[in-house]
Amino acid sequence: MTQRPQQHSFNPYTENGGTILAIAGADFSVIAGDTRQSEGYSIQTRYAPKVFRLTDKAVLAVNGFAADGNMFVKKVRQRLEWYRHAHSKDMPIRAIARLIQTMLYARRFFPYYVYNILGGIEEDGTGAVYSFDPVGSYEREACRAAGAAQSLMQPFLDNQIYFKNQTPAPGTSFPQHLPLNTVLSLVIDSFTGATERHIEVGDSLEMYVVLARESPSIQALQNIVGIQERTSTADGERIFVIRRDLKKD
Amino acid sequence: MFLTRSEYDRGVNTFSPEGRLFQVEYAIEAIKLGSTTVGIRTPAGVVLGVEKRVQSPLLEASSIEKIMEIDSHLGCAMSGLTADARTMIDHARVTAQNHAFTYDEKIKVESVTQAVCDLALRFGESVHDEEAMMSRPFGVALLIAGIDELGPQLYHTDPSGTFVRYEAKAIGSGSEAAQQELQDKCHKQMTLKEAQLLTLRVLKQVMEEKLDQHNVQLAQVTSEKGFEILDESSLKQVIEEM
Amino acid sequence: MNSFANRFSTNTTQLHSPEEDNFSDATWGSQAGFGNIAMGVPTFSIPDVADPTSFLQLHTDDHADPNCRIKIQHGTTTLAFRFQGGVIVAVDSRATAGSYVASGTVKKVIEINPYLLGTMAGGAADCQYWETYLGMHCRLHELRNRERISVSAASKYLSNLVYSYKGMGLSMGTMICGWDKTGPAVFYVDSDGTRLKGDLFSVGSGSTFAYGVLDQGYRWDLTDAEAQELGRRSIYAAGHRDAFSGNSCNLYHVKEDGWHFIGNYDISKLHYDGPGDVPGAPEGGYGYDIRVEGLSSANPPEAAASA
Repeated sequence: MTQRPQQHSFNPYTENGGTILAIAGADFSVIAGDTRQSEGYSIQTRYAPKVFRLTDKAVLAVNGFAADGNMFVKKVRQRLEWYRHAHSKDMPIRAIARLIQTMLYARRFFPYYVYNILGGIEEDGTGAVYSFDPVGSYEREACRAAGAAQSLMQPFLDNQIYFKNQTPAPGTSFPQHLPLNTVLSLVIDSFTGATERHIEVGDSLEMYVVLARESPSIQALQNIVGIQERTSTADGERIFVIRRDLKKD
Repeated sequence: MFLTRSEYDRGVNTFSPEGRLFQVEYAIEAIKLGSTTVGIRTPAGVVLGVEKRVQSPLLEASSIEKIMEIDSHLGCAMSGLTADARTMIDHARVTAQNHAFTYDEKIKVESVTQAVCDLALRFGESVHDEEAMMSRPFGVALLIAGIDELGPQLYHTDPSGTFVRYEAKAIGSGSEAAQQELQDKCHKQMTLKEAQLLTLRVLKQVMEEKLDQHNVQLAQVTSEKGFEILDESSLKQVIEEM
Repeated sequence: MNSFANRFSTNTTQLHSPEEDNFSDATWGSQAGFGNIAMGVPTFSIPDVADPTSFLQLHTDDHADPNCRIKIQHGTTTLAFRFQGGVIVAVDSRATAGSYVASGTVKKVIEINPYLLGTMAGGAADCQYWETYLGMHCRLHELRNRERISVSAASKYLSNLVYSYKGMGLSMGTMICGWDKTGPAVFYVDSDGTRLKGDLFSVGSGSTFAYGVLDQGYRWDLTDAEAQELGRRSIYAAGHRDAFSGNSCNLYHVKEDGWHFIGNYDISKLHYDGPGDVPGAPEGGYGYDIRVEGLSSANPPEAAASA
C-alpha cells in the first residue's frame, strides 16, 4: 500500500445552541437571551451571556457559534469606541445597524457564524429592533427570535405581537404597540415555553430593557424584583437588566 | 555638517533651528495671492462668496469654479492654488460618501474637515522605503460650510492642516481688509439675506473690477435645501438689492 | 485626478479590512473611525485554506446540503418592465432559509437613490450590500460629473464589480431600473457577470409563474393603472404557485421625476379580496375560487354541502 496524502476539510465552526429574542415597543425595546451554552448534547456552561450592552441606547444579542459571537461583539465595541473618539458622540442605533452589516459582510467569504439581533432606541425616541443574517443582510422589525428555538418562538410572537390569525372582537381593534409589562410577560412565556420543548434552551434568562429618554414605561419596572440598572450617563436613555431562572434539566 | 540658513526651506521634512517649517509657511503665503473668498455663518445657514478674476473678455467666467459641493449638506469655497483644492475636495467627497455607506448617516461638518486636514498633513510622508507620495504641502485654503445635528457651521483649513471654526472668515488677497469689515458688520442673529448682502459688500470693497453676477459666485447651505450655488438670476437679484 | 486622491488619501492607501488583526498604522492615527472600509473596492477576509470557494460552499450552500450551518436566505419572485409610462417594479417579500420562512417582510426593492431602484434575488446580503455600495458610487459620479449617472452606466458599474468576484460564491440576480436621458430603462445584472438591456425581466424561483401572467398581459402602451395592475397580478401568481415566494407584494413605479412607492399588498388578501380600491384593479379577488363556486367538487354549492 502506498501512502496517500490525506485531506482534511477545514471546519472552524460549531453550534452552541441557545436562543435570543427582541421586541420593540413605542418607546422601549426588550432584548433577551437564555444563558445555556451547549455543544451537541452536552452542556458546556449554564451561564454564558448572549446579550451585551453596547451603549446607553443599544444592546446586541448574538447567537450561533459562541467564539465567533464573542469576538464579533468585541470588534463592534472597538469600532464604537473609535467612532466616539472621531465624532465625539455615541453612535446612533441606525448607524450601528449599518456598521454591523459592513462588518459582517467584510467576512463574506469566511463568515462569522453568528445571528445578530440589535435592539435599542432610535434618535427619534422610538423603540427599534434590527435583525441580521450571518453575512449582513438586515431589516428593522418590531420583533424577532433567532437561534435554536426560533421556529418555536416566532409563530407565538407573530400571534401575540402582530396579532396574526386573530380577529378583533366586534367594535374593537388591536393596539399598535404593546405596553412594557405585557412585552416582558411575553418574553418570559416565550422562553419558558422554549425551555420545555427544546433541549438547547434553558438555565436562565437575561432580559435587557432599553427605555427612551423620560419614558413613562419606567412605571412597569418599579416593582420588578432583582432588576439592575446598567445606564452609564445621566438624563439619556436608560438600560436595565432583569434575570429569571429557567429549568435546568 | 551644518546647513546654512537658507537651506532649511528646501525640504518639507526639516524644521529650521527656530522651529519653523518654511515650506508650510510659503504655502500659506500662496493663499494670499488667491482671490478673495468670504464665508458667514448665521443661525439659518452658511453663506459662501468668492471673487472670480475674469482677466480677459475672452475668458468664459462660468468655467471658473471656486465653490464646490462636497455632499448635499456640505459645501466648500477655496482660495490659492485651486488645482490642489480639487484633490482635497475629492477626498472630502469620498470620505463623506464612505461615511454615509458605513454608518447610514450624514457625516458631521467637523469630521469632514478633520479628514481634509489629515490629507493636508500627508506631504513628505513615505511608507517604508517607497517614494514620498506628495512632494509638497497643498497651496490652498478652504472654507468648509455645512449643517449637521449641531447646526450651521463654518470651518477654515490651511496648508498646515490646522482647522478652526469661525462665525465669519475671509481668505485670499483681500482677506485683511475683508476680515476687518466682517468683524465690524457681523452679528450673531443675522438672517441669511443679510449674510448674502454682507458677503457681496465685503467682496465689492476688495475687488478691483466692478462687481456683477459674472465675477462673483455665491453659495449657501441651509437646512431646508442643503447646499446650493445661486444661479445667475438669483445672484443678480441679490446684487441689485445691495 | 480621482486616482490621485485615491492614492494619497489615508483611507485608500491601506487596502485593509477592519477585520484583520494586524491593523495598519493609519488606523491608529486621527483617521481612525472615519473610513475603515478601504476605498475603491472593499477588501474581504479569506480563510487560509487551499480552496476558499469550496470552504464557503461547504458551510453555506443549502442547495447541496440542507444541513449546512450558515443558512443564507434565498427564494424570491421579482419583476420589472418598461412601458410607455415608465418602469414598473414589483417583488414579493418572503425570505426562506431551507423550508423555514425566515421573514415575510423583506424589502426586496433597494432604493439606490431617488431615481434608481434595484431588486433583490439570490443572497439578500449580497444584493443589499452591493446595491448600497453602488448608490455611493452613483452619488460620487454625480458630484464629479455634475450630472446623474445613466442607468446603463450604473448597471455596468455593478456588473463589473460582481464580475471581479466571479466564482467566489456571490449570488445575486438583480434588475437595475430607472429613468435617464434615454427614458425609462431596465438592466438585468447577475453574479455570473451577465448584463442585459431589455423591456421585461423576472428573476427568482417564482419567475416562471410571473412570466406567465406578465407575457400575456404586456403591451408597450399600457396605461399607468393597467401596468401597475399587471405587476401586482404577476407577483400574486408567483406567490400563489411558488412555495418559496409569497407573503406580500411591494409595487414601485419609476417615472420621469424618480420612483414612487405605490403600495404593499398582502398576497392572501389579493387572492380572496383583490387589491381594494386602486386604479386598474378588477372587483373581487384574483383567486379562481369564485369562478368555480358550486361547479367543482372541492367547493360544492351550499345546498349540496348541507345535504
